[in-house]
Amino acid sequence: MSPARKVFNEGLWSNNPIFVQVLGICSTLAVTNNLSNTLVMVLGVTFATAMGSFTLSLLKDLIPRKVRMIVQVLVISFYVIIVDILLKAYQPAISKQLGPYVGLIITNCILMGRAEAFAAANKPGLSFLDGIANGLGYGWVLISIAFVRELLGFGTLFGLKIFGDGFTPWTIMVMAPSAFFLVALALWIANIVKAKAEAAAKTPKPKAAVPAPAKQ
Amino acid sequence: MKLKKESLGYVVVFTFIVCVAFVLLLSVANQVTLPQVKANQNYASHYAVLAAFGLADASTPKAEVENLFASKITELSTQAGPTSAASATYSADIDGARYLAVRITNPGLWGPITAILAADPAAERILGFEVLEQQETPGLGGRIGEAWFAEQFRGEKVGPDGKVSVTQGSGKGDPDRENSKVDAVTGASRTSDFVQILVAKALTAVKEIGGSL
Repeated sequence: MSPARKVFNEGLWSNNPIFVQVLGICSTLAVTNNLSNTLVMVLGVTFATAMGSFTLSLLKDLIPRKVRMIVQVLVISFYVIIVDILLKAYQPAISKQLGPYVGLIITNCILMGRAEAFAAANKPGLSFLDGIANGLGYGWVLISIAFVRELLGFGTLFGLKIFGDGFTPWTIMVMAPSAFFLVALALWIANIVKAKAEAAAKTPKPKAAVPAPAKQ
Repeated sequence: MKLKKESLGYVVVFTFIVCVAFVLLLSVANQVTLPQVKANQNYASHYAVLAAFGLADASTPKAEVENLFASKITELSTQAGPTSAASATYSADIDGARYLAVRITNPGLWGPITAILAADPAAERILGFEVLEQQETPGLGGRIGEAWFAEQFRGEKVGPDGKVSVTQGSGKGDPDRENSKVDAVTGASRTSDFVQILVAKALTAVKEIGGSL
């Protein structure tokens, strides 16, 4: 497997930031009752993780160990504030809707986690891809959760009405507790699937059946 | 002289340079986008005033908003009544009648909420309500900025106590304009309480300013 493919395989599935590393859970709970907000959050995290990892990997030989975390936070904050500034200037409606959550990307553990676990020991190009892969790995789980929460909580998808007026919204889906149930459910399903795949890989393949000697 | 990577001198110099470089880049980005951000804020404020008066909606073209604001809206110098705290007052003549709008800021759950409320000068019926700035929880309290929430206030009769209550309903919006009541945002009762207080304050401001004109 090529290094890039391995990085994507890990980010999207085998080392997924949500259900394997269990990082970035705060934002998973917070923004997933609405698909539009989730999408912007995912794009913000993916951009900031990729660019943060790329820059930190470029600087890795210059950063003294004592201050490496300070530098990581600085670089990550830099990209997050850039996202915030760009949204304010060119997408004021989304910036207004997301409010303080854009700034909170800084505290998303996935960014620091990848900087420390990957970018500190790998080349810039691969670190960039690792950031993208982890952002997308975070993204598909969040979007799946937001899909269920917005559909059942508001009866809409991306704000478009799906269910008719007779639909009674599931209020709990709008509130934080539903995110706890759904994240737990996602963790459970992913672990069952992973365990099955691992068990299947360990079981030796049955040998080709030897044909019984023909009776004379 | 070559500094060792882990020596105190290198750590101090490196950290200083990195901080200065990134902060400099951020200030440049901030300065470059500042005029655009200011223009966005101005536009949002003008649009909110027009929308509160019912003179513009989401389909109004951007250029038209500025024209309408310049031609139809008068900003009054009477900014606040004796007890109210409106930060700006606007008036507009619609179908021969004069209406007032106030811009008011009041605390919300996480930060201040700024809104525009338009009503008749006696504050007996709300003409429109628009949230301009808020930092409520996105997806919950943050929904006070959505159109369905603001739409409930359009033409709403003010109660005898000078209030419109924001209370639990179907969560889809209250269509009754005579009951002095609008639906709160589901899952955001605290934010809804803050909106109720803000609307009451804005109505007091309109009444006081309207009475002094």
